[in-house]
Amino acid sequence: MAKRLENDTIDLGSTGASFLKMGAIVGAIGLAIALFGSFTTEMKLERFFLSYLVNFAFFLSLSIGALFFILTQHIGRAGWSVVVRRVSEGFAANVGLMLVLFIGVFLGMGQLYSWTNPEAFANDPILQGKQPYLNTQFFLIRILVYFGVWILLTQYFLRGSAKQDSTKDPKKTERMQMVSAPGIPLTAITVTFASFDLLMSRDPHWFSTIFGVYYFAGSFLGYFSLMAVFFCFLQSKGMLKETVTPDHYHDIGKYMFGFTVFWAYIAFSQFMLIWYGNIPEETVWYIRRFEGGWLNASYFLLIGHFIIPFFILLFREIKRIPAALAAVGVWILAMHWFDLYWIVMPESIKGHVGISWIDIACFIGMGGLYLAGFAFFMGRKSLIPEGDPRLEESLEFKNA
Amino acid sequence: MTDQSSGQKKMKLHGLLGEFKDIESILKASAAIRDKGFKKWDTYTPFPVHGIEKAMGIKKSLVPKIVFTCGLIGGIGGLGLQWWTNAVNYPWIVSGKPLFSVPANIPIVFETTVLLAAFGAVFGMIFLNKLPQLYSPLFTSKNFSQGATNDKFFVYIEAQDPKFSPDRTRELLESLNAVTVEEIEEEEHAWSPSLSPKMAWSIGSIVFCLILIPPLYIARAQAKDRTTTRVQLIPDMDQQPRVNAQAASTIFVDGRGMRNYVDGTVPRGGAQTNTGYYTGAENEEWVSNPLPVNRALLERGQNRFDIYCAACHGIDGSGNGPIAIRAKRLREPNWVPPLAMTDSTVLERPDGHLFNTITNGIRNMPAYGDQIHVEDRWAIVAYIRALQKSQHATLQDVPADKREQLREEGQK
Ligand code: HEC
Repeated sequence: MAKRLENDTIDLGSTGASFLKMGAIVGAIGLAIALFGSFTTEMKLERFFLSYLVNFAFFLSLSIGALFFILTQHIGRAGWSVVVRRVSEGFAANVGLMLVLFIGVFLGMGQLYSWTNPEAFANDPILQGKQPYLNTQFFLIRILVYFGVWILLTQYFLRGSAKQDSTKDPKKTERMQMVSAPGIPLTAITVTFASFDLLMSRDPHWFSTIFGVYYFAGSFLGYFSLMAVFFCFLQSKGMLKETVTPDHYHDIGKYMFGFTVFWAYIAFSQFMLIWYGNIPEETVWYIRRFEGGWLNASYFLLIGHFIIPFFILLFREIKRIPAALAAVGVWILAMHWFDLYWIVMPESIKGHVGISWIDIACFIGMGGLYLAGFAFFMGRKSLIPEGDPRLEESLEFKNA
Repeated sequence: MTDQSSGQKKMKLHGLLGEFKDIESILKASAAIRDKGFKKWDTYTPFPVHGIEKAMGIKKSLVPKIVFTCGLIGGIGGLGLQWWTNAVNYPWIVSGKPLFSVPANIPIVFETTVLLAAFGAVFGMIFLNKLPQLYSPLFTSKNFSQGATNDKFFVYIEAQDPKFSPDRTRELLESLNAVTVEEIEEEEHAWSPSLSPKMAWSIGSIVFCLILIPPLYIARAQAKDRTTTRVQLIPDMDQQPRVNAQAASTIFVDGRGMRNYVDGTVPRGGAQTNTGYYTGAENEEWVSNPLPVNRALLERGQNRFDIYCAACHGIDGSGNGPIAIRAKRLREPNWVPPLAMTDSTVLERPDGHLFNTITNGIRNMPAYGDQIHVEDRWAIVAYIRALQKSQHATLQDVPADKREQLREEGQK
């Protein structure tokens, strides 16, 4: 084992530095283009903020997915995943960056959330009933609580496991397993309410109690896809070449498959109950998504987010070829992004889908910042938890 | 060994069992046996050994393909079943949804897919593993039956393998560092039951007798006449402590189970001052539809008619609903066929009479007043009129500006 590690590059090295530099530059340029570009559209600034919210929800979901991944691996005392856990800890810690990026959502609240306007409540008994919850102050307090929980947890796991690199203390692993137990419900509750606040309240009348699970399903799936893509990228840059094997990809691929189905299961559960019940207050949300161009977008989501990856990921070999799995990962990430676009937009852009270059610039910009944030949180840390007592098991892991 | 056990029974060589001491040696031996071209042989290890499939040259399992095929059959079968039953054989509108509405079918498609895929996985695996196998001559080896699930690793080569030769195969196993090599024998008639362990047979017979109990119980219950539910798994569900409609009750002083309204109270929606609107008649005269007839009302009426009335009267109001068709086919002696909406009796009925028919029922038709809101009942009345027009319209019913157009189209 030791030999394999010695032969391998297990730190980000110069790639980290270029992530930081290039990411920050690309981030600033991308967001600037999106911001100023939005003035060329009819919706002006609102278009920028909408795009910003989509991308914010997207990158936030990746970090949340990473946090869930760490928690589930610890609580299951998983051995196979040790070599892919440090990178996950880095991505999870990126919620810190997402808190900074929340400033953008904060600035756009007036355009994004109709309930921030006091007039919205005037003749609306339903909204008046929701006022104790849906008001700017409480909203901001809640957001701070969510991020507080996430940052505490992610920093705990990143720092704890980084410290273990030198101490090699197996007790640390036991403690992290202990923390993961309350960590899961804590994260589940905060993610549920965060999705209510950030995404569902775009239509303040509408509600769906399964919405949090829906966002979680996409997040978890999105993070596994990111993993496949990112490890393939790292290996192409000469890192972790010996450490992460097709057997690890195979497991990541199984997760991708499983959560592709889970996403569809949850998405359909939400849809079917509303479709069957056929109550106006619930169906409005879907009707907006079935009107005009959005109908095709909904079908596209069904086919692209579920049917295509489902059949591709059935094949064992595809899960074992890093480049192939990474390609599927890119596709699923794109579909996950589109899913969030489909969730955010129809309240404001009715009857047609209207993806524009502003969305792409915003995506590239925030993506750049996201990579820079990752490099920042990873710093000089090793790319694998060298002190984990199950490291050897993970290195030797074989998929039967 | 041959000498001891033969007695009257005739024994023949079944195969050679080689014992190995660890994973490495069994992997090596397997690879060597594979390369020699043996086909009828197997390895037995106390736990799954990584890489053994490759060393043995086992091809990819067929199970995934079986599972996929079964899942596909389950999914398509589940969808087909619902399409056939709901949309073709017994068209029945539920909540105004289309007869074949895929979203409603998905849960069942999901279940049938999973069910058949799981069957495929379990039974495919059992089948490919050649199970159930109550007996194998291998169990005659004490070393094997004690060691194979414990701490020993075995390779077994069957004598039926074309490459098998008692001496050379033994040499091969020994050259591969087998700890011991043992000959395994079986009786000439491998399938005679006396070979199988007695335990398996006695347990099997007991289980079989136990399995027979429930069907026998049900058969007995079927055969006897009785007034209560035949088989009561959960009696509480059959005999609930409740007061039935119109039944007496000892709880109340007046001895009646059903209660009257408290004096001076009116139930919600009970303040029905507009008698014509609520009953269809005013001053002993049938009223005409009090609601303004427009597209929205007609569509609502169609939707409600399809849900509540079409089952008997048919979607087109011709009296050919699935219930009517079925009753006719079964030659139900007491069946009164539902009238067609275009029947002359119905044509002549005033709006209020139709409303009253829906509310209170008529002759053999049950009442629907409790299930359909007043407004919806009037909507249905309006829709019945439209249905009638579709069969009995005159030129006077066509707007004046459209008549010319109609004539032209008729001449074409
Ligand atoms: C359970 C089957 C059934 C259903 C459901 C049903 N009907 Fe009928 N209906 C009948 C039968 C049977 C008759 C003929 C009764 C008779 O002649 O004794 C009838 C007769 C009628 C008549 C003619 C009554 C007359 O004036 O002589 C009308 C009108 C009518 N139904 C309307 C409706 C409407 C509207 C609905 C939906 C709300 C409805 N029915 C639902 C079975 C049904």
